Amino acid sequence: MKESTMKMTLLPAGLLLAGILSLQGCVAPQATQDLLAPTDAQMKMRSLQTRTFDLKDRNAAIRGVIASLQDLGFIIERANEGLGLVSAARFAEPNYYDVVTITVTVRQDTPEKMSIRANAIYNNKPIDDPKVYQNFFASLQRALFLAEESKPAS
Amino acid sequence: MPITPPSSERPRASRCGTLAGAAACLLAASLLSGCVARTEPADLFTLTPDMPKNRVMQTRMFETPNERELLSASAAVLQDLGFQVEESQREVGFLRATKERSAREYGQYVARVLVLILSLGKMLQPVDLHQQISAALITRPLNPEATRQEVRIMFYRVVWKGDGQADRQYIPPGAQYMEMIRDPEIYQQFFAKLSKAVFLEAHRI
Repeated sequence: MKESTMKMTLLPAGLLLAGILSLQGCVAPQATQDLLAPTDAQMKMRSLQTRTFDLKDRNAAIRGVIASLQDLGFIIERANEGLGLVSAARFAEPNYYDVVTITVTVRQDTPEKMSIRANAIYNNKPIDDPKVYQNFFASLQRALFLAEESKPAS
Repeated sequence: MPITPPSSERPRASRCGTLAGAAACLLAASLLSGCVARTEPADLFTLTPDMPKNRVMQTRMFETPNERELLSASAAVLQDLGFQVEESQREVGFLRATKERSAREYGQYVARVLVLILSLGKMLQPVDLHQQISAALITRPLNPEATRQEVRIMFYRVVWKGDGQADRQYIPPGAQYMEMIRDPEIYQQFFAKLSKAVFLEAHRI
């Protein structure tokens, strides 16, 4: 009887000791100065995701973005003219389990230039493959060019 | 309901919210891909061969200078079809509407019973219970004078499944999947109603 109670008290004590010993090995992580500083990877991603087009009409650019996304089979979920924001999503066919989400922002850099940035997410992982963004901008270029074509020369 | 949740909540996270859900997700994922993390295919965002066909089915052109009227007529037609307008943006001619319906199908229940018998009572397949049918609509002027307008609508549905059982493993309810509606008749129906509405409203002014 006595032996078993000894064991009962020894076990938690042993566990506590083990816990203290294992904690001892850990040093509190120090916040570094450049925690929020832009990294090269971020800059690279931004340049991958951004293209500048020679466009004047911001509304037409947003409509072009929407048209190209629709052509790619995306469902437009939100569009905000004021912010130049379009978000769309698609279930990757044929399995219907993977979700592709894209947010496109249209910003007027100068009266002559429009900067368009696309962020794409596959399931919950950002896409960093340059080829994917090239594909998107090729399709966008096509949609914008078609819109330009239908305008008469003035 | 949009496919993507509005805030930081991610689609997969929402589907794998509960522990049981996570287990089901894990099971589904391992069945689908053999435990390999799925990455995006390289041909993402490329145009597919069936694109022109879908575009033709989903798009109509209207000879009207009034984009706003066309958009509100579209909203009215969607309401007639039982949809609730969820989001709208007049400046870019955007509308999104949804309706919720039961997704129960007789055939699925028959299949469920057949599978149950054939598997000697071990497999109880989940059946579709509930669905949300959504429509995303865009109007767009085709020429700078804006005398011709294009309307493009996409219908799709999200389906929620009920619960089931695989051997001793309980399959919790709430698994969802999505599909585009590619039945040309639904699109024809919508556009027939819309052209009628535009015609009537054009005369009303």
